[in-house]
Amino acid sequence: MENGPETAELLTRARAGDAEAFRVIFHRQAPGVRRFLGDLLRDDAAADEGTQETFVRAHQRLGTLEQPGALTGWLLGIARMVFFEHLRKKRRDGLPPANDDDSQPIQIDRSPGPEAALLAGEAERMLDGALQTLTEDRRSALLMRLDHDLGYGEIATAMGWSLPKVKNEIHRARLQLREQLTPYLEGRS
Amino acid sequence: MSGHPEIDDLEQLAAGDGLAATVAHVEGCPECAQEVAWAKAEKALFARRAQPDVSALWTGVEQRLGQALPQKQKRRPNWHRPFAALASAAAAAAVLLFALRPKPIAPASSSQVAQNQNQPQSAQTQPGQQTGQPQPGPHQRSHLDPKTLAALDTAETDYRHAASVLEAEYDSLRPKLDPAMAKRWDETLTRARTQLGESRAVAADDVRARMRVLDGYAEYLRSLRDVIQDSEEATP
Repeated sequence: MENGPETAELLTRARAGDAEAFRVIFHRQAPGVRRFLGDLLRDDAAADEGTQETFVRAHQRLGTLEQPGALTGWLLGIARMVFFEHLRKKRRDGLPPANDDDSQPIQIDRSPGPEAALLAGEAERMLDGALQTLTEDRRSALLMRLDHDLGYGEIATAMGWSLPKVKNEIHRARLQLREQLTPYLEGRS
Repeated sequence: MSGHPEIDDLEQLAAGDGLAATVAHVEGCPECAQEVAWAKAEKALFARRAQPDVSALWTGVEQRLGQALPQKQKRRPNWHRPFAALASAAAAAAVLLFALRPKPIAPASSSQVAQNQNQPQSAQTQPGQQTGQPQPGPHQRSHLDPKTLAALDTAETDYRHAASVLEAEYDSLRPKLDPAMAKRWDETLTRARTQLGESRAVAADDVRARMRVLDGYAEYLRSLRDVIQDSEEATP
């Protein structure tokens, strides 16, 4: 768990209205929340706005977080709600929704390049492309596990799913991810 | 588990911290070895991802929380004012609290007690912290010695006394304040008092919960101190 003893103290102070404590929490947790929303939204401006909205809501609900160790999962759960509201708004406004079609073929540039470029950018681009082939729910669960190191139980709480469903969805997400990444990884070896 | 280890165990092995049984199984199971190899590859790919810069985002959050956060608090996190009598009361309570911390958490085994006493201070369990260690069960709560409870009562009384002195100080400054500012501070303090009251009500004789209440009192005192500092600066 990434939250040390200080997190409990910071949360107590933040709940008592200490702005500095909440600022420290923000700077520790916001990079992860921002990356999570960036992976879901695929829009930098929207991910920035979503990160701010997540922390404003988190501040209003600090009293509902019972375990300091669950902070990251709790924040990602709020971020996921913010993401869905953003999607609903986009749909209302007639904008195209994010890719949530499991069957859509992956769009990945598989052209070979120099090793340095591979190391610096291609891996991330490949991973990014592969993640986009997953449904939003499945992507959220997989990111919570692989990118944010949440335990399966924490993911179940954040997603509102049963533990077997979390394991099943992450297993399926992994299989899809591997299918997309195999050509890249085999090419590299 | 029928044959193969759970995915959690394989992931743990991929992270370099596998159980001996898992290691032994994977050595003889190509299917699981491949699973571990994939888990390592996934971990490496995710670890390469860039960390986004969020430094510009706090300002927006701060602005949106502007109504809820006392503005000067964030610029002045340290306590410089010499509230000597109150500080000594709080310090006495804090010393008492420190002395009590390991006691209620320690299990009955004498070897474990000795082990706990050898732990460095920074490694000791804080109230509300998850450590992976077994949490005290209800039976432990009901076997508290009267001295521990009495010490907790005394510490709480000290904090309450310190809070009442600071509250009186704030009350004397409040009429001179801008009404909007006073209202905001009132709300902050009321919220803190409510949370304290609720925590105390459910804590009963649970030592860990009681210590969390003391932590809450310490934070409440700090809030009061900041409010008084701001009040004095805002008063002509």
